[in-house]
Amino acid sequence: MNRLVSKSEATRLGKRGSYRLGGLAQQGVGRPAAPRPFRPSFTRAYHAGPAWAWVLGAVAGTGLVAAGAAGGLWFMPMVVGLAAGVAVRWGGWRLRVSTPVVAAMAAAGWGLALWIPALSGLPVGATARTIAALAGLPPYAAVAVGVTLAVSALQGLAGLWLGRALAPRPPEDEIDR
Amino acid sequence: MPSRRRWRRARRIGNVAVAAGVAAAVLAVCAAGYGRLPALGPVLDPGRGAWASAAGGQLPTTQVLTLPGLGRAVTVGFDAHGIATIDASSVTDAMLALGYLHARFRLTEMDLERRQAEGRLAQLVGPAALPSDRFELRLGLLRTARREWAEMPRTSVAARALLAYARGVNDYLDQARASGQWPALFPLEGVYPADWTPVDSLAIQGDLTQELDYTTTPLDYALLDRSLGAARTMSWFPVLPVNAQSPYDPGPYRPLGIAPIQTTMVTANAASSVTAGPARGGATPPRPAPSLATTLPPGTARAAATLLAQAGALPAGQIHEYPDSNAWAANGPRVRGGGAMLAGDPHLPQTLPSVWYQVAMMAPGFDVTGVSVPGLPGVLLGHNKHIAWSLTDTQNQSTLFYVEKTSRSRPGQYLWHSRWRRMRTVRYTIPVRGGAPRHLAVKLTVHGPVMTQVGQTVSVDWMGNVPSPDVAVLFGISTASDFAQFRAALANWRAPTQNFVYADDRGNIGAISAGYFPVVRHGAPWLPMPGTGADDVAGVIPYAAVPHSYDPPGHVIATANQRPVAGSYPYYIGTTANDFDPSYRASREYAFLNARNGMTMASFAALQTSVTDDLAVRVLPRVLAAFRHVGLTPLQRRAANVLRRWNRAMAPGSPGASIWWTFWSDYLSATFGPWWRASAVPVHLDRSGLGISASQFSLVQVLEHWTLDDPANPAFTPPGGPRRTAPQVIRAAFGTAVAHLRARLGASPASWAWGRLHSRQFPSLTQVQALGYGPRPSGGDAWTVNAAYGLPVATDGPSWRMIVRWPGTTGSGHAAAEGIYPGGQSENPASPWYENLIPYWWNGRYLPMPAAGGGPASPAARAGSAAGRRVRWRLRP
Repeated sequence: MNRLVSKSEATRLGKRGSYRLGGLAQQGVGRPAAPRPFRPSFTRAYHAGPAWAWVLGAVAGTGLVAAGAAGGLWFMPMVVGLAAGVAVRWGGWRLRVSTPVVAAMAAAGWGLALWIPALSGLPVGATARTIAALAGLPPYAAVAVGVTLAVSALQGLAGLWLGRALAPRPPEDEIDR
Repeated sequence: MPSRRRWRRARRIGNVAVAAGVAAAVLAVCAAGYGRLPALGPVLDPGRGAWASAAGGQLPTTQVLTLPGLGRAVTVGFDAHGIATIDASSVTDAMLALGYLHARFRLTEMDLERRQAEGRLAQLVGPAALPSDRFELRLGLLRTARREWAEMPRTSVAARALLAYARGVNDYLDQARASGQWPALFPLEGVYPADWTPVDSLAIQGDLTQELDYTTTPLDYALLDRSLGAARTMSWFPVLPVNAQSPYDPGPYRPLGIAPIQTTMVTANAASSVTAGPARGGATPPRPAPSLATTLPPGTARAAATLLAQAGALPAGQIHEYPDSNAWAANGPRVRGGGAMLAGDPHLPQTLPSVWYQVAMMAPGFDVTGVSVPGLPGVLLGHNKHIAWSLTDTQNQSTLFYVEKTSRSRPGQYLWHSRWRRMRTVRYTIPVRGGAPRHLAVKLTVHGPVMTQVGQTVSVDWMGNVPSPDVAVLFGISTASDFAQFRAALANWRAPTQNFVYADDRGNIGAISAGYFPVVRHGAPWLPMPGTGADDVAGVIPYAAVPHSYDPPGHVIATANQRPVAGSYPYYIGTTANDFDPSYRASREYAFLNARNGMTMASFAALQTSVTDDLAVRVLPRVLAAFRHVGLTPLQRRAANVLRRWNRAMAPGSPGASIWWTFWSDYLSATFGPWWRASAVPVHLDRSGLGISASQFSLVQVLEHWTLDDPANPAFTPPGGPRRTAPQVIRAAFGTAVAHLRARLGASPASWAWGRLHSRQFPSLTQVQALGYGPRPSGGDAWTVNAAYGLPVATDGPSWRMIVRWPGTTGSGHAAAEGIYPGGQSENPASPWYENLIPYWWNGRYLPMPAAGGGPASPAARAGSAAGRRVRWRLRP
């Protein structure tokens, strides 16, 4: 028990308003502020370059993955992920930001490569069902599409990890995990 | 502090190492796969992998294509249903275009078929296919195909057709390699088709021959002989049928001796072959007596069991199990307006894609429309300007097994004609996906390949291993304009033995059972025979003596795999267990056709889709008579009433059909089951050949005969049991059947629809369930004209229905022709042409066939073309 508070309680004994619900109310001490809820920050206190440049870079990476798919460069998601890994290390982006962005870039790139032919009339949905069935998976189009996008994302993430690991670490970047 | 720095440095190095390892692992799995996992990167690459097969799912558009190897430009047209028409300046250009079309729409099917035939399936699908590869390499489809190609004169029309066809296939393969647009199976498996060669086409020809002509009947006989005993075996699986038959060639017959087997592709002049007469002194050929079997050497049953296990490991339909097909023709007063009319529906495994690809081909001197087989140049069934033809399997015995005499003191040798001879050895390496290559040594005797050395050394003499110039014969048929030319062309056909049914524009009809019917001078060919020489195949039935018919007085010819000849035919052609149809379909067809004059194409269509069960027509009155004056339970009485009112049609909604089929199956079991159990027949070794079922045609016709004519046959009395007669067994079986149906379908006989027990399915050739069609409730059974083989799910049946009508007898009319097959022209499941023809087939409808002969198409065909989508490809050199 706080000693100071005990002394003040003694002076207030018997006075009106000194008691609340069987205990002494605090006097002259303001209410403590409510604790602030934890709000994780997806950005570091700083990152190199303007945000729009980074967004543009992500879009370009997606385009590269899509173009690579069209050209038969199936490993492009990993290449783009690798480059992204180096870039985000240099740019100071946290892992919690770069991971979903790179996965989305890779998946969206291959998704785009599937979507564009579908728009031009190719039976991509029916082909997806065929691929799933031939692969011994449940014969639904979503399964083949999902597996395809997952493979691209996996490549991208593996590249991201390697890129980050290879890139030189900024001296002040010690808490970025 | 330095230690913290070292730790951070070590951690960084570790991070780099782990990241690099993970990235390398991901890259490696994506690039090369792991175990059964395919190379995920190239496989799932949206631009080049399995996804690129979406391009093959698109309908073709009008365009110009460059095909190296063409002499001059070729036009290919597609109607709304995908039926192709090829218009070329030469036959070789037409064949090249056909090869391109087949590859464009059926590459997976072609590659699977050639791998199957050549023992290379394991390279695509892994170790599971090794039994099939070993079997095929032993049997020797590849050896025969290579030999056929080696012996084929390169200037012959067949060689030129095969080369042009292969060039067309390879033109497409080059395009696929350049574009990466392969059918999905190849990128998924990571194995791509090699260039096509004429040997591949000939191997596929061998594969078809095997499906239609290779049987294991003698092995079944060996096991039945051992378990049931020779007397019962030959009584219950007799050589000659005991029930009423409808041969299309009722005789009279003339024995013409034995003709030699042509073992090379250089064939004699067709006309001289026809008129050559007896080839070996004109002596009456021996005809093995349909009596007791000879004593089999010890170990034969064990060898037979081993061989049946080999066959049992093959994919369904790889060897011959069912009778196949209907084909009939009528002329004169039977056809409205005179002229001749022909119908054909070959019964084969009904797969997606189909075994057929429909096409019309036109080139100077070559105008033909019908169905082709992907992998083979030409049209197998169809019509040209003057004649139409269809095929049914003859079902004769073409597979003979020999037990070679060997000695431990003489390894690798066998005794033949009193001399020890060395077996020849051929060695193969079988590539296996996901595993090490396997090696196989095949030994050959004078009879053929040694199929097993377990128990006994057994070799097989199979007519499918005799080189057969089928491509040349098909070309000869396609260009024939009358029966004489048709018959002359068929003189060189060796295997598979087929009933070729014919109708022409002069109002003639005919049929010939073309092919080799092997003849032995001694022994019982329905059993494995001693290989010491005396029982060897001495030759074949001369072409002039094979079953045939031309313009019969009844104006009707019907072949439905029934025994084509009567019992007085002077040659042995096989036993009742050789899958000759018990004549139920043929009898139905003759009854229908002989009862009508002025038939139309609609009449033929009605017969092709008929599901009347002729066995029920024959036997049911006797069955119902067995219920008179006996006590039945209320449920049995209601079931009997349903059966009494039943019209004998195996319609999907018919409860009578369910009761009939269940009863008949239980009747077979009640009669033969006690004998099978008492004799310990090894049914597990070959369920279709040794089991008691409705597809065991010998037992079916024997039981029919006893029921109608010999109800007190001792076989009705079980071994050691009280005496029984047919009516008693009928009542017992009926009670069992009603109990079965009640347990399965409920207590109301009126609701026991046949479609609840029986369905039909068109499985995918890749054996992937989701890519097939059905199962759907369906009518028919094994004995209906619209046949359905297999219960509860039929996967064999009419694989193509065709009707051709020649309007007059002057030779100047154009044929009206229609056809349909259950499937679609494209093998790509994403294509609108994958299964677009199934609804037509299922509902008994037909589509007009594109015109042959450059003449006008039938009005129906013209209407179809006008209404449909027309796409043209211009193929240029």
